[in-house]
Amino acid sequence: MPYQAYNPDWSFRLALRKKAARWQQQSLLSSTQLSTIELAYPLDYYRPAWPLRVGVFLFAWLGLSLGGSFSFLLVNESPFAAGLLYCLLSFGALELMIKQYRFYHCGADNALLYSGLGAAIALIFYVFYQVSHRYNDFSLGNGSLFFPLLLVLALLVVAVLRYADAFVTIAAFFILVLLVVIGSAQSALGLALLPFLVMGTAAACLALYRALARRVAGTALADYYATSLLTLKLLALLGIYFGGNYLIVREGNAALYHLPASQQIPFAPIFYAFTAGIPLLYVVLGLRRADRPTLLIGFLTLAFSLYTVRYYRSLLPPEVAATLAGLVLTVVAGALLRVLRPARFGLTSLPDDEPRHFNLENLIQAQTAHAPAAPAGGGFAFGGGQSGGGGATGHF
Amino acid sequence: MPYPPPPDHHLADLAARGLLLPEQVAAIAADAKRPFSVHYELRALLYLGITLLAGGLGVLVYQHIDSIGHGIIIAFITALMAACFAYAVRHRAPFTWGMAPKTSIGADYLLLLSCLLFVVLEGYLQYQYGLFGNRYGLATAVPALVFLPLAYWFDHRGVLAMGITALASWVGLTVAPLSVLTENSFWTDSIRTAAIALGLALMAAGFYSEHQGRKAHFAFTYLLLGSNLALASLSTVLLDGVLHERLLVGTGTALLMLGLCAGLFWYARRTHSYWFLVLAAVYAYFVATYLFVQFILLIGDGFIVVGGFLFFPASALAVVLFLVNLKKILHGSSEAAASSAPPSAR
Repeated sequence: MPYQAYNPDWSFRLALRKKAARWQQQSLLSSTQLSTIELAYPLDYYRPAWPLRVGVFLFAWLGLSLGGSFSFLLVNESPFAAGLLYCLLSFGALELMIKQYRFYHCGADNALLYSGLGAAIALIFYVFYQVSHRYNDFSLGNGSLFFPLLLVLALLVVAVLRYADAFVTIAAFFILVLLVVIGSAQSALGLALLPFLVMGTAAACLALYRALARRVAGTALADYYATSLLTLKLLALLGIYFGGNYLIVREGNAALYHLPASQQIPFAPIFYAFTAGIPLLYVVLGLRRADRPTLLIGFLTLAFSLYTVRYYRSLLPPEVAATLAGLVLTVVAGALLRVLRPARFGLTSLPDDEPRHFNLENLIQAQTAHAPAAPAGGGFAFGGGQSGGGGATGHF
Repeated sequence: MPYPPPPDHHLADLAARGLLLPEQVAAIAADAKRPFSVHYELRALLYLGITLLAGGLGVLVYQHIDSIGHGIIIAFITALMAACFAYAVRHRAPFTWGMAPKTSIGADYLLLLSCLLFVVLEGYLQYQYGLFGNRYGLATAVPALVFLPLAYWFDHRGVLAMGITALASWVGLTVAPLSVLTENSFWTDSIRTAAIALGLALMAAGFYSEHQGRKAHFAFTYLLLGSNLALASLSTVLLDGVLHERLLVGTGTALLMLGLCAGLFWYARRTHSYWFLVLAAVYAYFVATYLFVQFILLIGDGFIVVGGFLFFPASALAVVLFLVNLKKILHGSSEAAASSAPPSAR
């Protein structure tokens, strides 16, 4: 049995078709070629347009959460048995739906996954609570929470590896950060080093992202885990920034030590440097490596850094600041739009989805004598023939 | 350390299957090394800058209004509105009952901007000089009377939505005196009836334009606004019926709502619109729940717990099955029979 729950071919074909559509937009591909490609790579799973996905998710979620109370009735009101039954039923139904009806992140399978995981997490905490009541104290200082949370993290990581769900990835990342916070809250030294520990954890996540991305590069798994990997990268970048952001550190410090008002923190210059430097680093790296997610995170964190500055020092009245900032932004962006045309410093201000100067028509006409063979017939014999695939094309 | 360009396994797969010409493969591979496009990022920054500039200037003008004078500001708004409108008129496509071809993207937005400026101007005049006095109905009727013809003349659905909104506020203000807003009884019977009537009228207008081919693409806007208005106000009637235990009113309203949902379902099937199908499903689910609860209450208390435990999961499951099988429902059953669909229970 393969480790991935969904067929990795589905994500491969979807990604390939998206890329081919883009090449067609750039007129690197003729529209006949595009339709041939779409025939050769059919999307034979169920994944409707997004409003429908939302609707399916909401109603499946509603039914599952109400059905949860039903499982209590079935097993004579033993919470453990009810939770176990609910969890097993959720995962069983999830696997069945994927196998039988080829659901692929269509809303219903997401709802089943979340309710199954929720039941499993509740079970973990219930069992620990039965052993000892000290697991009932949900505060950061309670070090005994460490072990159950570690189990939760392991569960979530396994779920991400199998189902490649973005929200589970987010949850796993936050549990990891929570573990670091709880672990460091056990000693005064750990608490003092907390910002650096959070930054270090996020940096480790970034390294993990790099290693995983390199590992799956060039295979269908790269498409299968694309969303999860992107989520991990964005969270890691944000974690590095917010771990060292002056506002977060100062206000978090005040909250941790129950101070009435936040006060200047030790080693403040280091955090000034982080707050100012990390966004600029992201922007520069994003531009140099043609890495759009990093660039966008750089812009967002830059905006938060400006907010941080204004939170403690209001240099100008807001309306004057807005006018000046607007003027500078307008002039700079307008100038760059001109300067970077057609290209300079490896950057261009021309849109990426415009037709290229590539003489496709002539090429195809010249090649008609020995046109490429029709797609090989083998490899698409799916059991049960063409299945409904309702709305998978995304057309309204 | 710069990244090596990732190997494009999609391109390799396409090439291996012989779906692309070798020259094309080379061209696509070379295209990946083009300069990094920051077009949309720069455009977003430009818009952000213009928004900040406009907002900041607006506040500055507001703070120094005494030294600038109202006349100048009104003249400025009017001139801007006229300029936007003139540009839109110059680039207008000739009138047709069908969908007019788009001549210019800028003209579309400028027409919308000039309509927004019209509202701003009207509000300014009313606030500063009390142009309409206490006749607020007139103040909302004027935009409706201006926007609705403009929407048809320019074939613009955004302006149509603005006109319908103005019309709704005019109806609301005409039916109920302004005092209902200050007192705590916004959902009075008269305003409810007016909302239902307007919603039904808008839905009728939508069905008419779809059926007669008079700006059939406007039907979406009419039906979306009209059905939401009518169904939402009918829902309040339903809840009101529950509160005051008026069973007959409630049942009649529920049947009317089911009828409207059926109309939306017809339109959704006709235009293959998922939006209206989901809309109809949500309201019909609400009504069905109401009817079910009334039914349970009628037969007696013994069934409440079991009925509740069974009904909600089962009905949610039914809706999920409905949505999953939507494509077959939307496109009729003939196609569904042809494609060997997953053997899901329907």
